[in-house]
Amino acid sequence: MGRSSSSPSSSIDSTSNLTPLSPSSPNSSSSSSSICLSSNFTSRTTRRSIRRDLSTDLRLGLSISSSPKHVLPNNNVVSIQRVDNQQRPDWPPIKPLLRSALSGRSAEERHGAASSLFVKVYMEGVPIGRKLDLLNHDGYANLAETLAHMFKAPILCPNGSRAHSDKHYVLTYEDREGDWMMVGDVPWEIFMSTVKRLKITRADRC
Amino acid sequence: MAYSFPEEVLEHVFSFLSSERDRNAVSLVCKSWYDIDRWSRRRVFIGNCYAVSPGTVVRRFPEVRSIEIKGKPHFADFNLVPEGWGGFVLPWIAAMAGSYPWLEEIRLKRMVVTDHCLELISKSFKNFKVLVLNSCEGFSTDGLAAIASNCRNLRELDLRESEVDDLSGHWLSHFPDTYTSLVSLNISCLASEVSISALERLVGRCPNLRSLRLNRAVPLDRLAGLLRRAPQLVELGTGTYTAELRPDVLSSLSGAFSGLKELRSLSGFWDVVPAYLPAAYSVCSGITSLNLSYATIQNPDLTKLVSQCPNLQQLWVLDYIEDSGLEALAASCKDLQELRVFPSEPFVAEANVALTEQGLVSVSEGCPKLHSVLYFCRQMTNAALISIAQNRPNFTRFRLCIIEPRSPDYLTLQPLDVGFGAIVEHCKGLRRLSLAGLLTDRVFELIGTHAKKLEMLSVAFAGDSDLGLHHVLSGCESLRKLEIMDCPFGDKALLSNVEKLETMRSLWMSTCSVSFGACRLLGRKMQRLNVEVIDESGDRPETRPDNCLVEKLYVYRSVAGPRLDKPNYVWSMEEESPELIRS
Repeated sequence: MGRSSSSPSSSIDSTSNLTPLSPSSPNSSSSSSSICLSSNFTSRTTRRSIRRDLSTDLRLGLSISSSPKHVLPNNNVVSIQRVDNQQRPDWPPIKPLLRSALSGRSAEERHGAASSLFVKVYMEGVPIGRKLDLLNHDGYANLAETLAHMFKAPILCPNGSRAHSDKHYVLTYEDREGDWMMVGDVPWEIFMSTVKRLKITRADRC
Repeated sequence: MAYSFPEEVLEHVFSFLSSERDRNAVSLVCKSWYDIDRWSRRRVFIGNCYAVSPGTVVRRFPEVRSIEIKGKPHFADFNLVPEGWGGFVLPWIAAMAGSYPWLEEIRLKRMVVTDHCLELISKSFKNFKVLVLNSCEGFSTDGLAAIASNCRNLRELDLRESEVDDLSGHWLSHFPDTYTSLVSLNISCLASEVSISALERLVGRCPNLRSLRLNRAVPLDRLAGLLRRAPQLVELGTGTYTAELRPDVLSSLSGAFSGLKELRSLSGFWDVVPAYLPAAYSVCSGITSLNLSYATIQNPDLTKLVSQCPNLQQLWVLDYIEDSGLEALAASCKDLQELRVFPSEPFVAEANVALTEQGLVSVSEGCPKLHSVLYFCRQMTNAALISIAQNRPNFTRFRLCIIEPRSPDYLTLQPLDVGFGAIVEHCKGLRRLSLAGLLTDRVFELIGTHAKKLEMLSVAFAGDSDLGLHHVLSGCESLRKLEIMDCPFGDKALLSNVEKLETMRSLWMSTCSVSFGACRLLGRKMQRLNVEVIDESGDRPETRPDNCLVEKLYVYRSVAGPRLDKPNYVWSMEEESPELIRS
């Protein structure tokens, strides 16, 4: 529990037991580095050297040798600049939840806004669904048109009249609370913020 | 000289000792005190789950009611520890299930907890009250369902920062209708939606609920309903703080917030839309803790919010606050004790916000009670660090991170040795330190000389030679945890300070210059140290000559011997011999 040691800590004299052991400066150990390389080891080393090469400071045009384990970049000049968006998983030291929140957010900010809003669309009686990007549409008419085309079925435009039945389909959606609602009652923007998925059902069911 | 208090008297006296260290000290006085402490110890803290075996703990302390256990090393938070490394809590739960039928509290950090563990907990401890899973993983919402169904007396369920296999939000509905004892619920790490109506019913029937931290999936327009059912809340974590701007939602939310007369802590605020912030203004004057780590608001909204909280003691915020916001903070929040500033764009080299060393200087000048700081920035100077040290000698925790490793003082281009030297020299009570920027062996000499109360040190991309590590190991008398990544520290320092390692909880070194030979020597010579090398190449330890360098090294003291649950990439050096000794 943190007892202070007033006498110098005992040491194990490494030099008498292990003469091949070189002092810790990495340059001198690089000469014997080749002994360590086994076939499996090389692939891992190559992977690590790729990671290291990517982290080279491109402006200075430095490169790191192919056996990074034995030649450490302990000089001040080499920096761990990221290449574009190449992220080191261990730097900067941020905990996982915050890291993923920030990564996701960064991507969004760079693109200016959320780039897509894909929702699942099922048609009644058809087991395999489709996916559709709502952000690619500017309103209900546009949406109904796309869906009619996608499913080759006459879908009532939510803003249109409801005179027809059995041969037509209507569009419904599941909202954030888990309820199934008719598409078209709320403004498009509010619909976008609450829709989870879509379903095309027969008109005579509603 | 025979004095003897009856045991009951001594036991009563010991019950006032809340600190683990005090109880440990007391147990060493004499055999009778050891026995009294042994039978009356109700709370055990295991800082490293591999330092001692569950059986040993359970045999020594038969009447424990509360246990706290930590598993993986701290650097596991930054992806440095591979999957499957360890920290499995099952052996502990199994041992306690047999021996502690009256166990009430389990607090775990960085451990692997399976659904089976959760089921075992829910069925083995009839009076189980508190479950805190901090940064844990390995369980799903099915395990949570077991806890909800079976723990009739549960008070606290806190899943902070844990990685949960989120199958569905249905688990929450497993709390029976007769269950009313919830005091604290933290589900902020969960991704899936829980049924809001089930949540409302739960909140509504638990009159002692003090702390409610929701997850992002709880929509803003349902928050008011929850708050109205729990006006006694002291801590609140909102869900997503965005919605279509609707006056009715805004006024409903404002009304709900104003009913929270006891509220002291606020967090959450994912995706925050500034227009809805004023709804929370009514509680700001009472707020002492504010966590805006996920809040994407920028100035002036951000500074405005923070300035409304004059009683703030703890602030976690993104660097959107900028120097100007920190200056405002320094002016309005004189009770501030802890500040954490996280980077909004951590993976970009260029600054996206006007946050510099000046912000930290302002806060250190203006907040006399500030003693704990975690600060991410992109530039620093020795002058700023000296100024900070002189302003605030009361620092206990000082953690700096400069985004670009090895950044020098940007004005003088010198290393930051002198600046950090000032920190350790002035802040005599410093217990935790994380270094940053360009640093030579000199800074470690200063740390070894001055940082006598330092318990935890984190180092990355620093130092020139073994001398740096040697200064720390030989000088820092109170050192318990040392974690090092990407530094040129090697065998000499390690092997010159072997006894020191037994006085510490653990040492982590990754991408340094430590050889297999040194690890083997250390493992073989020091029986009470577990020397574990992490090597993910897929090879076997025998193929490594002594002069080969290790990827990652984790050394920790233990009375349990080498652990038996190692994955194949963790090699125990106790079982190895250096070549020359072998041949």
